[in-house]
Amino acid sequence: MPTMARNLGGRILTAGLIVLVAGFILGPLIWLGMHAFATRWRYPNLLPDGLTLDWWRVVFAEPELFAAMQNTLFFAPVTVLLSAIVCLPAAYAFSRFSFPGRRIFLVGLFATNAFPKMGLFVAMATVFYGLNLMETTLGIVIVHLIGTVVFMTWIPAAAFSSVPRSLEEAARDAGAGKIRVFRTVTLPLALPGILVACVMSFLASFDEAQGTYLVGAPSYMTMPTEMYSLVLNYPTQVAAVFALLLSIPSVVLLLLTRRYIMGGQLAEGFQIR
Amino acid sequence: MALPPVLVILLFVGVPVLLAVGFSFGMTGGLNRTAAMIGQDVFTADGLITGEAYAMLFADPRFPRDLAATVLVTVVTTLLVLGMAIGIAVLLRLRAGWASTMLSGLGVIPLFIPVVIASWAILNFYSGDGFVRSLFAQFGAEAPIFGFTVTGVIIASVWVNLPFALLMAASGMQGVPDALIDAARDAGAGTATIVARVLVPMAAIPLIIAGTFTAIGVLGQFTVPYFTGPNAPQQLGVDISKYFQSFNQPQQAAAVAVIVFVVASGVAAMYVWANFRSAKQEGRV
Repeated sequence: MPTMARNLGGRILTAGLIVLVAGFILGPLIWLGMHAFATRWRYPNLLPDGLTLDWWRVVFAEPELFAAMQNTLFFAPVTVLLSAIVCLPAAYAFSRFSFPGRRIFLVGLFATNAFPKMGLFVAMATVFYGLNLMETTLGIVIVHLIGTVVFMTWIPAAAFSSVPRSLEEAARDAGAGKIRVFRTVTLPLALPGILVACVMSFLASFDEAQGTYLVGAPSYMTMPTEMYSLVLNYPTQVAAVFALLLSIPSVVLLLLTRRYIMGGQLAEGFQIR
Repeated sequence: MALPPVLVILLFVGVPVLLAVGFSFGMTGGLNRTAAMIGQDVFTADGLITGEAYAMLFADPRFPRDLAATVLVTVVTTLLVLGMAIGIAVLLRLRAGWASTMLSGLGVIPLFIPVVIASWAILNFYSGDGFVRSLFAQFGAEAPIFGFTVTGVIIASVWVNLPFALLMAASGMQGVPDALIDAARDAGAGTATIVARVLVPMAAIPLIIAGTFTAIGVLGQFTVPYFTGPNAPQQLGVDISKYFQSFNQPQQAAAVAVIVFVVASGVAAMYVWANFRSAKQEGRV
């Protein structure tokens, strides 16, 4: 029975593929996570010599590491909020109004990605010295903001565009004012896209290390910048604990927003209109 | 309303980029004066511009090697990422079920892991005393060490860049109507033909977007090669920080950044072209 054989072969192939991809994606994370609880680990053992929670105490006893956590949990939400205030009106304008230079602006925002980040930060430092922004909260927020502009403009613009104009017009005909139409029709329908943009911006800010280090160090260390020195100066296990802590907010976000991101909101946002 | 983000980008990206480009060509006045004074081997243009900083870069045999290695990593990573993304997206489109859902679920996980952690985790996984070598050692076999190699950079770059490409590919292929696939099948097309002649062409625009974003990201990346890469050849993103911080040659650092920018702009131009073409086809322009 060739079909049955083919089915079985297909299943084995799929199972093999899943194991490979799971090993490729999850393997490094699990291997790192296990180090956070290991006393000693000798090559070529697949398991550590013993288990311990001591490394967690080490991390929480370091005031610098604790300050870095606080800094990160401050900068990421502030960046998202500021980015939303700066970019969301623009996203609406890009989506609903046609004005000269509209597409050039959109592409221009994208072009910021083409200049290498490291080179940009080095060049930005010149401007920051001139404006006295080095080692200031505002300077770091600006560095983080730069990384979020594309997400916060493009994805919500696509979300606003996908709201049918006929719905808005129907609400207008029923007597709703402009602001009311926006609040009760446009905004709720565009909300999933805006949410995805916020998540991407949060992650971008959360992840930012090079620019933060260049502008903020040593006054302001965030978790990713601290991670650089941790890897070099501490035992593997301490860095592993810190890595686990640093992953918690992102994993929570993943669980909360998986549906929207997988639903194509992100992909939809990157097509020029 | 559209102005605030454009102004932010102009002031904090546009101006610095112009300054850096000018600086790399020997314009050492104005805001560049401080960097020019502190830095070593800074060339000032007699006339309008000078290419001496670039000449100095290419006079060092290490730099062309770094450039070649960066382009190699970018090309291989982009191809691998697109290949994996297309593979999973095709499974998701043609064989929807728990297996393909699980694969795509696995594929987006890296999106949520900070790059610093990912790079470091991958370094440990493939290093001399890492899991892969430990596993092979159980059977008395010797696995290669990928930590601090160009291969390691490629592995980590694929890991980091897979989710975005996968999301784009999946969304592009979900948009292909069933009728098209059925029609091709009725005409006698096998799965391979359907993938190559129907699914991939129909999802071309999202795939090109994914490809350009991946290529641009990998070209200038710093964190991944900083953790996982070898000392030679180095990726250009690491070179920029090396020339700036270790060598105190800000002009050469700017020149490297401009070189990456030129290559990335070529890739970005392709993206814009593909997008406009699709917009024209759909009558949106």
